Amino acid sequence: MIRGGQNYVSSPPAFSNDCKRVLVCTGNTVSVFSTSTGLQVSSLEGHTAPVTSILVVPATDVFCYCWTSSFDGTIRYWDLSVPEMVKKLDLGMPVSSMVIPSFLGSPEETNAKTSSVFAYVSVHDGKAWQIRKCNLTNYQKVGKLVLKETERPEPLIISPSGNYLGIKDKCKLHIWKLPRVESDLAVAKKITLHHTKNITILAFHPTERTVAAGDVTGRILIWRGFGTQKFLDPSGSNNRISMNDGEDKPGVRQNDDAESCSVWHWHSAAVSLLSFSPDGAYLYSGGKEGVLVLWQLDSGKKNFLPRIGSPLLYFIESPDPSLSLISCADNQIHMLKTPSMEIMRSISGIKPPLSYQEVCENFSGKAAFDCTSGLVAVQTENYGIQFYSLFANRGVYEVQVCERNHQPVDDVTVLVTLVELSVDGSTMGTVEVKLPEEGIGGVVCLKFWELDSDTKRFSVSTVIYEPHRDVDISAVAFHPTRRMAVSTSYGGDFKIWVCKERDIQQKGQRLQNSGWMCHAVGSYKNKAMRAATFSADGSVLAVAADTVITLWDPDKNVLMAVVGETPTPIVSLAFAGKSEYLLSISHGLKPQLSVWSMSKLAMAWSYRLHVEAVCSTIDSSYFAILALLPESNERAFKGNGIILLFNATDPIPVASMSVMKPKGGALAFLKGDLSEQAVIDGKTPQTLLVYINGDREYVIFNPYDKEGHKLSVIRQDVALEETGQFGYSSIYGELPKFDLQKEKTLSVMSSASERPWETIFNGSSHMLPPLTKLCSVFLESLLEKRTAVAE
Amino acid sequence: MTSTDIRDILTAFSPSLDYFAITTGDGRVKIWDTLKGQVQTEFADMSSNDTSIYDRSTKGHLSIDYTCMKWLSLDRKKKRKHVSSLLVLGTGGGDVLAFDVSAGQVGWRISNCHPGGVRAISSSANGSCIYTAGADGMVCRIDFTTGNLLEKFKASTKAVSCMTISSDGKTLATAASQLKIFNSSNHKEIQKFAGHPGSVRCLVFTEDGKYILSSAVGERYVALWRIDGARKQSASCVLAMDHPAVFLDSRCVDSGEHDENGMCVLAISEVGVCYFWFGNSIEELRNSKPTKISLSSEDMFSRKYKGALPTIYAAKLLGIEKPSSGHVFLVSGLLVKPSFQKLLVHSGTDVKLNVSHDGILLPKSQSLVKSKKRSDERRVTALDRANAEDALLPIPKVFNSEKEKAFQDSSDKTEKDEMIQDEIDAICMEDQLRELGILKSEKECLSNLEKCYPLLKGINLEAATPMRKIRATVLSMEPSEAIKLLESLLAAWQSRSFSGKYVLPWIYSTLVNHGHSFTTDESATCMLDSLYKITNSRGPTFQSLLQLSGRLQLMTSQIDKASQTSSDPVHDLQKDESSDEDEEDEYFHDEGDDDSEISSDDDS
Repeated sequence: MIRGGQNYVSSPPAFSNDCKRVLVCTGNTVSVFSTSTGLQVSSLEGHTAPVTSILVVPATDVFCYCWTSSFDGTIRYWDLSVPEMVKKLDLGMPVSSMVIPSFLGSPEETNAKTSSVFAYVSVHDGKAWQIRKCNLTNYQKVGKLVLKETERPEPLIISPSGNYLGIKDKCKLHIWKLPRVESDLAVAKKITLHHTKNITILAFHPTERTVAAGDVTGRILIWRGFGTQKFLDPSGSNNRISMNDGEDKPGVRQNDDAESCSVWHWHSAAVSLLSFSPDGAYLYSGGKEGVLVLWQLDSGKKNFLPRIGSPLLYFIESPDPSLSLISCADNQIHMLKTPSMEIMRSISGIKPPLSYQEVCENFSGKAAFDCTSGLVAVQTENYGIQFYSLFANRGVYEVQVCERNHQPVDDVTVLVTLVELSVDGSTMGTVEVKLPEEGIGGVVCLKFWELDSDTKRFSVSTVIYEPHRDVDISAVAFHPTRRMAVSTSYGGDFKIWVCKERDIQQKGQRLQNSGWMCHAVGSYKNKAMRAATFSADGSVLAVAADTVITLWDPDKNVLMAVVGETPTPIVSLAFAGKSEYLLSISHGLKPQLSVWSMSKLAMAWSYRLHVEAVCSTIDSSYFAILALLPESNERAFKGNGIILLFNATDPIPVASMSVMKPKGGALAFLKGDLSEQAVIDGKTPQTLLVYINGDREYVIFNPYDKEGHKLSVIRQDVALEETGQFGYSSIYGELPKFDLQKEKTLSVMSSASERPWETIFNGSSHMLPPLTKLCSVFLESLLEKRTAVAE
Repeated sequence: MTSTDIRDILTAFSPSLDYFAITTGDGRVKIWDTLKGQVQTEFADMSSNDTSIYDRSTKGHLSIDYTCMKWLSLDRKKKRKHVSSLLVLGTGGGDVLAFDVSAGQVGWRISNCHPGGVRAISSSANGSCIYTAGADGMVCRIDFTTGNLLEKFKASTKAVSCMTISSDGKTLATAASQLKIFNSSNHKEIQKFAGHPGSVRCLVFTEDGKYILSSAVGERYVALWRIDGARKQSASCVLAMDHPAVFLDSRCVDSGEHDENGMCVLAISEVGVCYFWFGNSIEELRNSKPTKISLSSEDMFSRKYKGALPTIYAAKLLGIEKPSSGHVFLVSGLLVKPSFQKLLVHSGTDVKLNVSHDGILLPKSQSLVKSKKRSDERRVTALDRANAEDALLPIPKVFNSEKEKAFQDSSDKTEKDEMIQDEIDAICMEDQLRELGILKSEKECLSNLEKCYPLLKGINLEAATPMRKIRATVLSMEPSEAIKLLESLLAAWQSRSFSGKYVLPWIYSTLVNHGHSFTTDESATCMLDSLYKITNSRGPTFQSLLQLSGRLQLMTSQIDKASQTSSDPVHDLQKDESSDEDEEDEYFHDEGDDDSEISSDDDS
């Protein structure tokens, strides 16, 4: 089983003491990367929920330890050199953030202190997020004292000197001065600073009592000398504050305890990154624009690192003054050479799901798979497609679909709505939509790409503007063996495209040029067509026209048959491998997975399931579905989604696996890994199933292998135990059997011999037979039925 | 093709094949990402990471000359995801360096392990230690993770030129003046071969450990030695090449019939041509002709260009797909930008690879040529809104219940056929009558008439014949012949196979001229009776038929009048219907065929 596609930027990373390693939170694990090569060295595995913070224990010697906190309610202590877990503290409450003040003070100070190490944690007690103290050395329970309750998990920020702890809470900053000698009972003093806008981030100056905060409008506020009265003056009375009623405190609001407040404004959107340089002379800031700004604190002069290309999230200083890193929202971590601000190398993962999914209703962020070479193609924020190697867990290359620059702050005007790869991975189809501005100028564009055999890169072969007039394309499907594709539109027609070689005479040279051309156009009663698929041998094209499936001969463009009726429009179609079964998926109020027999042209069996994705093997009749489970079943089952493996002939699943975050997920069968395991272990290539979830984390496993089920769950180590019954039947009990019987009767009912009037009026509307003819058949069929009854 | 030498280039694939290390002898190691085709990292001065001050001060990268390089990962058994893999390098100075590529630092080093230079590094597939051999004739066993020297034994009195260990770790082969096979645990010599006169460059065990492959400097062949403990000292198989081999790889092929496994051997020659042999047995391998993989010489630069030429640097056999073809992972192109590809090589078909010029800075003249070529290579086709002008439009189809029913259940087929029959009957009453035997079938009439043809003396019944001629022919007949003619004419009239217009004059003429003779004949009277009946029965219908035709004429004239304003709908529709009917029948049969195909597929 191979996992991958982790998000590297979910939580701030951390440097090791010698600056040779960087520790990155990757889901349930912490991955250790080398700063000199950017390659992963090892990983810390053990947490059962996403890791939220990493704190490296400062030390001068080689031995390196770190603390991690996680949403699974544990804090763990790791030895990085082995790497193994040393200690585990179970808080029983999800930890969203953790800081350890004693790590930050000067070394002699820490030595002088008592042996106990205290951490401040933000935990959820079931109602709200609470900031509490926790003794890590002699752990018994989380401290009862609650410093503050917040609605959302707020990251705890600690000053580099380890004296102050701060959080943001809407328009306020709360700052605590931490007790010099920590104990279970020591109480921190607190001040609050106010602002008129929601604060997004704060940072402490390394030496002075200065705090900087960024707000949603892009302003940066710098309070100097905060807490002069309360923190410095041991008697800190309220009378003195009221006396100093804001006369010599420029910019400070509401009697806040600060000497001055200044505002800088450069960012146009919310500030998401704020950090002082270690010497305290500079301030780094960044936001959605993807520009790192370096402010000189005294003068306010700016220096920029532009064109990072993606919203910035975290800026981490390393103990080595020449090295720092920034985390970007596009799942990249760049290592910076600090004084010159140049990117030395990057750690990059799979591109995150697009943020503009909600802009376009017809948008499908589904990944496409190249099953033979084990690549997944995902849409990226900058109008491109990233090809990501599933086995090697790293990006291979990116293709730019539309020629336009991406600025994170700009409004989205172009969307890449669809990506589809042919079975052999040699052809790609993309659909991009230029959103209309004030109702005009929207363009749909279908592009076919060909793989260059030498460079293994895709390049555009054909561009088709407005392939279905101005209607959006709902699906693109490729012929399994030939260079043929079909595109369906919501406007009620589909087009079959073929790639033809053409000779072009130019400058006395004969050039072979291949271009895609429209081969055929078809429609059915002007119904919106939402899905299409070719059968395994390519002889039949199935197109979903609203609630019915139309079967066509793709070469002659002849409507061969019309099958069935689902309660809600069909959104996806697939043939179950080489078998005679066709799968249809409909969403809506009555979601359904239906399996249609092509020999009987009737429904074989069906399930009332909201199926998110379906995929079938190429060479057998097995297929797998990814279904969303209803909310009520979440208790019985870990995870809110389920993968079921079926043989098309049998409505009882062969295997089941429960998964997390199925929304927007996808499934595919991959050909066995030729490169890695097979070579060394001498195994025959086997079929593997890959599941990629909504966050684009994926897992590859052998679905037929019973052992695999125990661990085939992303973000969850407690596996689905198969006790007697299969996973599905354990929820629904007798339902499958009942369904089977019901559908069997249904199949007889819907067969035309019994009720011809259901199908007799099916046909192209402009080519319906005359009523006289229909009438006679209609009556005949009625008569026939009565005789049948009489018998 | 100009020859390039790849002898001095050391290459190594990472265990998972996603990285590739290459060093050209200047002490720098480049790590390429084989998926992206980009440089991942470059290590110029590896020893600088070392803690020892002595190394840092004296050694620059040019002072290190690497003699052998292997990328090894050993603790595969553990379930840890990130298997530590080390790039182990041997230097001419006798040091062994293990380099942790992903961490970018030296894992361990053994200084002066083999005085005079390290010659070979090898490890078994699942062991936890590596073996090195050097010019001092010693073989060292080194712990993989720590770099501790575990064992050392003398394999030869002379310098060991090459050494390898079998994949199960039990046998070890060294090549000095002789090729010797050792038991790796107790260092006992198992077998001795004549070996190569020169220094051996490559030595590799086959997967099953039964054979060993070797190639030596300056010898243009690959030798295959069988390890069976026999005293035979000669090679069991020799594979000839055009140039000495610098790299060898092999895979076993499971062939059910033979006791011995088949084998497939891959070699790269000094000039960068890849050779591929395949045999289901050793005998077959010996006689097999190599399949060559080379870079196409057309794409080579002009001869004036003096620099490195593109060649194949490294290859690895990934597996045998099906008989006589193998998956090969190849590194080819220029040193500055090698390209990585997986190739399916079929035995017997030579492969020419194209050279990609990506990412290479060329002299001005050449870059121009290149860019021109590029622009012509690929042209994008653009289609606008009117993209479906010559597209096929759907052929309209009507579905009614009968078809689907029949489609579903073959037992209904007969029923449906009958129905179709009924429809046909309704259209043609004659056919029905004929079928019931009321009318004689056309064939019978025709055969009767044929008999009479000699009597008619070649006169066509279907054409209007002058009365005089008819009379002359009839008169020339014998009475018996005339009866026969009358009989057949009557049948023809009755069956309407000939128009009454032509047949009736003949009947008339026969009756007039031979009437006297008919009265005497018994059969003739019977026939005359029937003739009388027919004529009588047709008489009364005449009036009504006339009326009918009159009405029809009236109707058609009315229709004609009406059609000036609008076309007749009824008529058209009927036509459509009939044509639809035909098409549906075709469709039905076609589908039946398809169905059977599908089922046969399933069976197989």
